[in-house]
Amino acid sequence: MSEARRPSLEACGLRVRRVSRRNCFELRVDALSLDPGELLAVIGPNGAGKTTLLQALAGLLPLEAGELRFADAQPPVLVFQRPIALVGSVAHNVRSALRGARLERAAVAARVTEALAHFGIAELAQRRAHGLSGGELRRLALARAFARRPSALLLDEPFEDLDRAAQDGLIDDLERVTRRAGLAVALVTHDLRRAVRVADRLAVLREGRLEQIGALDEVLQRPGSPRIARLVGMTNLLPGVARPAPSGLAVDVDGEHCIETRAPPGAFAPGAPVWAGLRPEHIKIDIGRGAGVPIGKGAVERVRSDGALCTVALRWSGHEIQAHLVAGRGLARTIAAGDGVLLSVRPEDVHVLPREA
Amino acid sequence: MILEVTLNTLLVCGAALLVAVSIGVPLGVWLGARRFAGRSALVSVVNAGMGAPPVVVGLLVALLLWRHQPLGFLELMYTRTAMVLAQLLIALPLVTGITLAAVASLDEEWDLQVRTLGVPPLWRLWLLLREIRPGLLAAVIAGLGGILSEVGAVMLVGGNLEGETRVLTTAILMYASMGRFEQAVGLAAVLLGLMLLLAALLTTVQQVERR
Repeated sequence: MSEARRPSLEACGLRVRRVSRRNCFELRVDALSLDPGELLAVIGPNGAGKTTLLQALAGLLPLEAGELRFADAQPPVLVFQRPIALVGSVAHNVRSALRGARLERAAVAARVTEALAHFGIAELAQRRAHGLSGGELRRLALARAFARRPSALLLDEPFEDLDRAAQDGLIDDLERVTRRAGLAVALVTHDLRRAVRVADRLAVLREGRLEQIGALDEVLQRPGSPRIARLVGMTNLLPGVARPAPSGLAVDVDGEHCIETRAPPGAFAPGAPVWAGLRPEHIKIDIGRGAGVPIGKGAVERVRSDGALCTVALRWSGHEIQAHLVAGRGLARTIAAGDGVLLSVRPEDVHVLPREA
Repeated sequence: MILEVTLNTLLVCGAALLVAVSIGVPLGVWLGARRFAGRSALVSVVNAGMGAPPVVVGLLVALLLWRHQPLGFLELMYTRTAMVLAQLLIALPLVTGITLAAVASLDEEWDLQVRTLGVPPLWRLWLLLREIRPGLLAAVIAGLGGILSEVGAVMLVGGNLEGETRVLTTAILMYASMGRFEQAVGLAAVLLGLMLLLAALLTTVQQVERR
């Protein structure tokens, strides 16, 4: 049993320095581990070091310090953002990845067939790899990496430049294959929505440091700083001061508007400057009375819909806040700029963060 | 006579090309794939060599090989070996430069992407050569073209000795200067045929690359 629980990949005290003519970038990861079958999504702004992190974990960069440990001494395989196709057939591409594996011919053939089938490109086996479409090439790169039976798969923006349908198909196949094989996956993306769809755990990388890592819900609902909050979609950050309240702690935004929270009363001293963090999907908008505790009236300024989600920008207590509605249903069909609406939020959905006065 | 001169030409050019490819391809791969201090200086030397006038290269070799010169004791002047040496110096930058360009045109992350798959180094090199195959063929053809049509250097270090160092270009020059245009034209036709064959080969290679 203890074997099964051993991490697929462990990094301790990792230090990587990349020096170019223009700048010097340093990656520092004190501890990071991936368990078999788990999917870790790493998000971060441009230049945070996401690709460097993956390349370091794949053992492709010289380490200044630190140690990498892989289960069964099988290093992880990195699938790059723009995967290359080797000259030759699709099957040849997968076979090439098995050159160092010292397998018998029949075993190689079986692995090639299996990997191609897993990623839905078995019928392309004899096609020239250089003639593949972008989506097919992604699948080939995943099959090629999977065939190696690595300790973990490291994916750099694996769904970039694919249309919605291709993305959905690839995400489904990736999840199915890696879960069934118990293969650990770390993927980096700058698209939070894709990360949320697949990840068990979420890590936030900024300037080469892991600022927060934890279970997906934990990071989304309880971001460690205002910066992380914005990065993980907690777009409503309202400045206020802490006030004791019957429910625990309330954030007094302007003397008139108070937001109840479930934060423990002792977390912040009364009068301490804090942020009340609210995810747009947690704000209830209603013409009458919404679910949750009312926080007051707001005026609709803009309504935007992407077909699935309707984002409503509101003016509330002098602040602009955003709320989400399911597009095309209920209030989302009638709401328009200029409407006055009642806003409410459940206290347990409010996240309180310290704020510099 | 034509057959003998043609065979001699193919022998000298073939030997020079063989050595140039054996050195130039690994050198080109190395220069194209690695980043190190002094690399750009080496690349500049290769680029300059690609455009060096053959007659000057021949003169340099002659200056080394003449009696009382540094390598005079080898007594190589006016031998096929001297011609091979001069042609090697002409073909080497061409083969190296074109190989280097082919490697440099690969995706910047090509090597990393193959390395992450755990492919052993020698197999990686084989995959790289497969990848740049059209470039390699172009390098070989350019190298051969450069020495096959060259006359100044082989004349200087070979001396156009009958049955020894006479090749197609030096023979054409000699017959033309003697007014024996029939022979000159015959040899020129053979040389032209060889060059056309090379051009056809290059075109085929380029078409394969585009497909």
